[in-house]
Amino acid sequence: MKRFSILLASLAAMMFIAGAGAFAAGPAEKVLTIGVDQEAVGLDPHVVTSFSSMRRIDLLYSRLVRLDDNFVVVPDLAESWDIPDNLTYIFHLRKGVKFHNGREMTATDVQYSLNRVLDPKTASPGSSYISLVKAIDVVDKYTVKLSLSAPLASLLDGLTSNNLSIVPKEVVDANGNLQKVECGTGPFMLKEWVADNSMTLVKNPDYFEKGAPSLDKIIFRVIPEQASLLAGVKSGDLDMATINDGAIIRQAAKDPKVVVMSKPGLNMRIFSFNCTRKPFDDVRVREAVSLALDRSEVLTIAEFGMGKPTGPIPVAATQWALPLAKLPFSAVDIARAKKLLADAGFPNGFSFKITCASTYEGGLAVAQVAQDELKKIGINADLEVVEWGVYIDKWVKRDYDSMIELRGGSGEPDRFLYRTFYSTGGVNNFLFKDADVDKLLDQGRTQTKVADRKATYDKLQAALSEKAPAVFLYCPNENQVVSSKVSGFKEVGNGSLFYLTYTQVAR
Amino acid sequence: MAANRLTKNSIAMTGIVIIALYIAVILVSLFWLPFNPVSMDTEHLLEPPSLSTGHLFGTDEFGRDILSRIMKGCSVSLIISISATALGAVIGILMGIWAGYLGGRWDNWIMRVADVLFSFPSLLLAIFVMAILGEKTFNVVFAIGIVYIPQFARVSRGAILGIKSDEFVKAARSNGASSSYILFRHLLPNILVPLIVQISLSLSVAILLESSLSFLGLGVQPPYPSWGNMLSGARKVMAIAPWTAVYPGLAIVFLVLGFNLLGDGLRDLLDPRLRNVQ
Amino acid sequence: MGRYIVKRLLSLIPVLFGVSIIVFFLVRLIPGSALEMYMGTQVEATPQQMEELKRIFGEDKPVPVLYVQWVGRLLQGDFGYSLRTGRPVLPDIVSRLPISLELTLMALFLALIIGIPQGILSSLRNKPAVDVANRIIGLLGLSLPQFWLAALMVLAFSGFRGWIPMGNFVKFTVDPLKNLQMLFLPSLAIGIGLAAVIMRYTRNSMLEVLQMDYIRTAKAKGLKRHAVILRHALKNAILPVITVAGFNTGYLLGGAIVIEEVFALPGMGRLALYAIYQRDYPVIQGIVLVIATLFVLVNLVTDLIYACVDPRIRLYEGGR
Repeated sequence: MKRFSILLASLAAMMFIAGAGAFAAGPAEKVLTIGVDQEAVGLDPHVVTSFSSMRRIDLLYSRLVRLDDNFVVVPDLAESWDIPDNLTYIFHLRKGVKFHNGREMTATDVQYSLNRVLDPKTASPGSSYISLVKAIDVVDKYTVKLSLSAPLASLLDGLTSNNLSIVPKEVVDANGNLQKVECGTGPFMLKEWVADNSMTLVKNPDYFEKGAPSLDKIIFRVIPEQASLLAGVKSGDLDMATINDGAIIRQAAKDPKVVVMSKPGLNMRIFSFNCTRKPFDDVRVREAVSLALDRSEVLTIAEFGMGKPTGPIPVAATQWALPLAKLPFSAVDIARAKKLLADAGFPNGFSFKITCASTYEGGLAVAQVAQDELKKIGINADLEVVEWGVYIDKWVKRDYDSMIELRGGSGEPDRFLYRTFYSTGGVNNFLFKDADVDKLLDQGRTQTKVADRKATYDKLQAALSEKAPAVFLYCPNENQVVSSKVSGFKEVGNGSLFYLTYTQVAR
Repeated sequence: MAANRLTKNSIAMTGIVIIALYIAVILVSLFWLPFNPVSMDTEHLLEPPSLSTGHLFGTDEFGRDILSRIMKGCSVSLIISISATALGAVIGILMGIWAGYLGGRWDNWIMRVADVLFSFPSLLLAIFVMAILGEKTFNVVFAIGIVYIPQFARVSRGAILGIKSDEFVKAARSNGASSSYILFRHLLPNILVPLIVQISLSLSVAILLESSLSFLGLGVQPPYPSWGNMLSGARKVMAIAPWTAVYPGLAIVFLVLGFNLLGDGLRDLLDPRLRNVQ
Repeated sequence: MGRYIVKRLLSLIPVLFGVSIIVFFLVRLIPGSALEMYMGTQVEATPQQMEELKRIFGEDKPVPVLYVQWVGRLLQGDFGYSLRTGRPVLPDIVSRLPISLELTLMALFLALIIGIPQGILSSLRNKPAVDVANRIIGLLGLSLPQFWLAALMVLAFSGFRGWIPMGNFVKFTVDPLKNLQMLFLPSLAIGIGLAAVIMRYTRNSMLEVLQMDYIRTAKAKGLKRHAVILRHALKNAILPVITVAGFNTGYLLGGAIVIEEVFALPGMGRLALYAIYQRDYPVIQGIVLVIATLFVLVNLVTDLIYACVDPRIRLYEGGR
């Protein structure tokens, strides 16, 4: 009995000490735990290409300008800018912005960062966004001037890319690159990174926007299974999760404990043709396929309806995108499709392969629906389901008849369409060459008046629908499943987590 | 005598009955299926099992009838399992008995190769082969077959070593019989017992391996149904439609159980150490 | 004994040499490359940039040259750097090894505590119905596809906090209880199948032992039934069970890929799977070598335990 009371006393003492410790810590830390399905590959903003790395960089670094939740370009490190002519852009920087190492960010850092991106040794994917920039001049400590060799209407939009984040030279020099270290000007700083497990970010107390961020800590947890992500939010292990699987979202929508945020994003699902392979070298065959594919049926089955049919410009970019009804060859017309096939010399259809992969990007489900729908016009499609690495290999080598793709679109028409459909475009893997399309694309990037550009891109959208180097299917929704404790988060539409800066979590 | 003992062994008999049921399903599926297993139906996506719609096991995310797909997939799974086992067994046994019979340097070399293959994790090896050859049904057979080669080589080598110095072999050799004659006419028939057991177990493991590969997206090509790729598709929707995963999974479980029961029963009957137990 | 161990360890060398050649050339036969994966389908690069990237990704030299360089560095203990993350390979593998080992040992433990009693029960001939039912149940466990069972477990337990690691795997050294809780379901998914194997060996070996003369003598002497079974029979029947358990441990080490994937456990299997998907050659090569080494070592240890438990068994030194 005596032994028991000693035990009890020591237990009480321990609880007291623990309790005192809790009080000493002051008000509870505001922590938000977010579940994501992929681990970040590296953190160097100028080098990374993966979506998962970008989502960390959203919060760690700043760019000159950023996109708000309506795809409008708004100030980030540059508080304002002038465009005296369409070849000159002058940026006025915020004063007193500090890198996470405490040093002030100035015009020299902007110059250094953009030059690092343009340096071929960096091999930065961001270089294509500013390849027309021929000089970067430091006007004074807080002013930078970019001079272009040719007009580029999409420059500002390009500068919102995380690949053009501003980084400090001394940290790059000390570490070779920034893949494993972090030193940005963003609202959060890297605290701990346990590979394939978790990454902890802590609040940047010196963030240039006063009062932000309101969270003390953000923890990224890597959970590859989408169902487990939802389970995590439901059980309270997670406060938020990025989920792209329609079935899981549909299940989440039924659950009163969680909030589903969902809006059409900038990614675009397309059915691409190899325009040099028979029979897809004949535009009539491509048009017939376009007329046979029922975009809303594909959407219903492959994405559980979580998305919106689109034309060549992502439907979410409302300023530019034409409604589907105004675009040719975008509604189902089986009779016309059959006639086009007959005219092209295939009255009895033909056989070909659809290359796809079982990852989400690889669009296996879309391929299966397309295969089924094409039977209606007598076309027999065989699926070539390959592993993701093989898929990329075939994409790079242009070794396919047709392919289901997920393209990263943009809210600015030039940025997405030029590199995708220009005859020498960097990601024109359709091997599509068309003089009219090239002309319109060239024209669009030199025009500065919005009304002129709008007219050009209206024509271009019609031309791309008619010449159909690819069938534009739909834009999947951008989804976040959020616990009801979380407030203030906004989706940008490109997956960005930047608005975690203004997010609050109730405890 | 052997047949009599077999029918008395309730474990083996249960296995045989289960396998026979599956073969019956295959025969039926050749002539009749409740629905077309590959045609999609947007009106009936992910319907739960129900008598009134006729979809006894429900429909999948494309509106296809799950029961029809399971029936159709039955022959796919069985063919893969049998061919892969046959491939692994033929090559593995040849390697094993030659190594065991010839001994010396041959034995050393052949068994080193087997050792190398053996110390590769089997699923990893199969994944490698699939990734290199591409996702085709035949390649699944090949990938699983390669995994089996070292296993059969070991079993048959061990068995040959156990009997090669027996009197009857020596007698045959002194009569001037050739090596291959001795191997195939005298030795092979005498080591059939462990090989049959190994074969029946391999048949069951092949079905599991095929489904694991398909689950990882490296198996039989859709829309052609195999149980593995049905489960792989179900993985995304099983949270809202558990029947898409439960029924194909049960189809696997019972066929594998059938082979396992048969194998275990045969082991009882054929294991000389246990023969006198009964 | 010492000579035997040395000999077995030496035989590891040709095996590892073979494994290293196979894995090195095999991974490069898989279509695609780490560089292509890195570039993806959205990124443009100038030819000049591509040259630079090829150099960085080590694609600028012929494969045999690369192999010689790799082996050369390997012999100095340098496993190279991951093409995906840029981190050194060996520490990454070493940090995941404990998780795979823990999973394997826990699965083995569960299999033994399920399988051995079941096997004993089955071997008692006075109740044939129990035997048959027992064996069918055991074999049913062996027939469950692991990933299917695992996925159903995730579905069933997803509402309960703590049973499924939500990307926050807790190390045993940090919080043993929580760690064991998280590993319980994954281990069970693996262990159920193994339990059937253990049960079969226990049963068969018990049947054999139970007819031995000394057991009959013990019975005749009037010893209590459970004493005979547990003290005399089981002690002798356990040998083959040890062998098969050991053998399967080696197998499990690399075999938990799918389970680690479904339960999101940061073990070696999942590292290997992702490395294959990403064509991260140095990581795949490193893991396969480590697993192969462990496999051979575990088999050696099994043989040694066997020899220690049963002095009648001599270790063969030559080819059997």
